[in-house]
Amino acid sequence: MELSPIWLTLKLAAITTVLLLLIGLPLAWWLSKGRSIFKIIIEAIITMPLVLPPSVLGFYLLIAFSPQHGIGKWLLQAFNIQFVFSFQGLVLASVIYSMPFMIGPIKSALQQLPQSLAQASYTLGKTERQTFIHVLLPNIKPSLLTAIVLTFAHTLGEFGVVLMIGGNIPNVTRVASIAVYDSVENMDYAVANVYSLILFSITFIMVIGVFIFNKAHAKSPLE
Amino acid sequence: MKTNQFQKRLILLVGCLLISISSFAQIKVAAAANLQGIIKVLKEDFAKKTGIAIDPIIGSSGNLSTQIQNGAPFDVFLSADMNFAQKLFDGGFAQKKPVVYASGSLIICSTQNLGFENWERLLLTPAIKKIAIANPTIAPYGKAAEEALKAKGVLSEIKSKTVYGESIAQVNTYITTSVVEVGFTTQALIKDAANKTTLYYKVIDPKLYSPIQQGMVVLKHGSGNADAEKFYQYILSADAKKIFKEYGYNVD
Repeated sequence: MELSPIWLTLKLAAITTVLLLLIGLPLAWWLSKGRSIFKIIIEAIITMPLVLPPSVLGFYLLIAFSPQHGIGKWLLQAFNIQFVFSFQGLVLASVIYSMPFMIGPIKSALQQLPQSLAQASYTLGKTERQTFIHVLLPNIKPSLLTAIVLTFAHTLGEFGVVLMIGGNIPNVTRVASIAVYDSVENMDYAVANVYSLILFSITFIMVIGVFIFNKAHAKSPLE
Repeated sequence: MKTNQFQKRLILLVGCLLISISSFAQIKVAAAANLQGIIKVLKEDFAKKTGIAIDPIIGSSGNLSTQIQNGAPFDVFLSADMNFAQKLFDGGFAQKKPVVYASGSLIICSTQNLGFENWERLLLTPAIKKIAIANPTIAPYGKAAEEALKAKGVLSEIKSKTVYGESIAQVNTYITTSVVEVGFTTQALIKDAANKTTLYYKVIDPKLYSPIQQGMVVLKHGSGNADAEKFYQYILSADAKKIFKEYGYNVD
């Protein structure tokens, strides 16, 4: 039995989480400030992967990034990037697919902070950016952790999109969830069980960890 | 008086519901992915001749036989090889030993006219970036493709270009949407896609791979079901054989 699908899955989840953190923080902050029709539409698009079947995303990615026409052809010729059957394709799909898990908790936490917090900081002469990094972010630590862990865990669990655009290539796109599916199809239940047990343990420990941390945090007298 | 009328209506409604449910009790046919096009034609022809409706479930042979072993309520199984059908018989999931109903034919196929005279050399050229084959451990056409590539001595060289479909149906999707330059699939795709996509193909020399003998069994769930038995006989009939031939299968 190979452990490469497990490593590949962890790598995919880690890269996706870091990328989403970089994209998600400013985006969640922007969304948390005020409301406009434009913001509502953007937020709806970000949230849609929660309810949209993965096959819809898989289908559109497959069509959009086919190297024979359109964007896929241009990307391949101009930058030599291919998003179907490649690791970067899985990263792209995961970023889209896990985005609501990163943006959601951060945005609602920011909205629940008292306005006075940011106002006090501005009064003391801090810029918006300084206020965000040094005042707001430290105050939403539990939500930040929840967002990071949920994003990571959700990427571990990705299956449908990968099945459609991955091509099941060992060490490139054969992630653990696909390896489980393959072993079951192949009636290799022992191998399926090992992969499943590893995934089960990782996600269980992570989710338990978040619960414990957030509970301890909420109990602190300062909260 | 009013309640009486209400009761009558209710009985009528339940009656209608039961009738509609029973008319849905068609025989369920688990069919390997290479049959996804032809099964519609067979279904129509069978319904015309007998009035019996079948309900096809398409998947890779490996996936379907796993589902059957775990209690899927299928009556007949049309596998893409003898192996999966034989395993079901050995495991007590089928009534009788599997019979061969058709032999499949492997092709190399593309939406582009690449010239397949020397297909093994073509695969090595940089123009070919991705080659789709079905997962060889669960899809018999994938296994045949791997054997043919091995026989031509290019299997290890093209490994980095290979992408695996979970069934021959997914390989067909990859070919017809042009996300791969070439793929190895069933000849049935050609007739199937005739009105939709222009495809270029070459039949792979059958000497390069072990024959894809496709086996059929009546499953335990379908035993004693006269309709299932009729469908089994129909698949082996001259009428069905004619249709199989049209789709590029070999029948004796």
